[in-house]
Amino acid sequence: MNDFVSENGGTSREELVQRVALMEAMIAEGRRTTARYGWMFVMWGLLYIAAMGWTVYLPMRNFAWPVCIVVGLLLGVVVRMRRKRAGAMESQRSRNIGAVWNGMGIAVSLYVVAAVWGGHGSEPVYVAAIMFMVGMAHGISALILRWGAQGAAAAAWWACGVACCFATTVREIEELYVVAAFFGMEVFGMYVMLLERRRPTGAVQQHA
Amino acid sequence: MPELPELDPVVHGKLRLAVLSLLTGVEEADFTWLREKTGSTDGNLGAQMLKLEEAGYVAMEKRFAGRKPQTVYRMTVEGREALAGYVRALRELLGGAL
Repeated sequence: MNDFVSENGGTSREELVQRVALMEAMIAEGRRTTARYGWMFVMWGLLYIAAMGWTVYLPMRNFAWPVCIVVGLLLGVVVRMRRKRAGAMESQRSRNIGAVWNGMGIAVSLYVVAAVWGGHGSEPVYVAAIMFMVGMAHGISALILRWGAQGAAAAAWWACGVACCFATTVREIEELYVVAAFFGMEVFGMYVMLLERRRPTGAVQQHA
Repeated sequence: MPELPELDPVVHGKLRLAVLSLLTGVEEADFTWLREKTGSTDGNLGAQMLKLEEAGYVAMEKRFAGRKPQTVYRMTVEGREALAGYVRALRELLGGAL
């Protein structure tokens, strides 16, 4: 230990251990800033349920999905722009995952508009396909992050998608959709938000 | 007795090490964000960033976000190598503690 101290200009072992802890805290802090997306899952889950509610209880049901999707996209863009202005950073991994979700969003938007326009908006496979697409985005993200909780969210969407293919009434399809949106978006989103709140923050008090 | 590794003094500084660690997780970071995350002052962070820049460990770019001027830092390949070397040296010095 004496050699160690002298060769490193008086640096003690304790100080080096502190450096390791500092690096870990800062790396975690960087990740924390790039991973605040729990609110998005909650928001999209609510919009999905709202769209489903509109198609059941309100007039002009053909507008329900396109309107809710446009509202979600606009809200997402506004919040992301505000976060960017506030100095939030982006990592390569968060960009990759964002690309998966953006791709899914474009695919679902085009599919919903085209299917509703083409008169297929009330068929079980129409809703099942949306569930499979959302499940796929969750699944890819879960594989990238190696995250079991998101894998469970993907499984919820896929299971409801499979069940939807066997649904015989519109009511069953609606119920399956609400179940998928609740477990695959609301519950998962709230869990993510809880994790984001729990993560510790650290600051470097001593300089240089 | 095997020779003990030297720690890179540029990386070893507490604030500089914190900045480099933060930069490993992001593509780029602006000055305000780094100041907020490290809890440092403008003057101190500016001085440490200059040292990192002079060592070639970070690259600085000045640009505008809308009308707001922004100073953005990005870790260079040399910076990544220096940090990796620092971690290797720490590992050797601390042995089982890491």
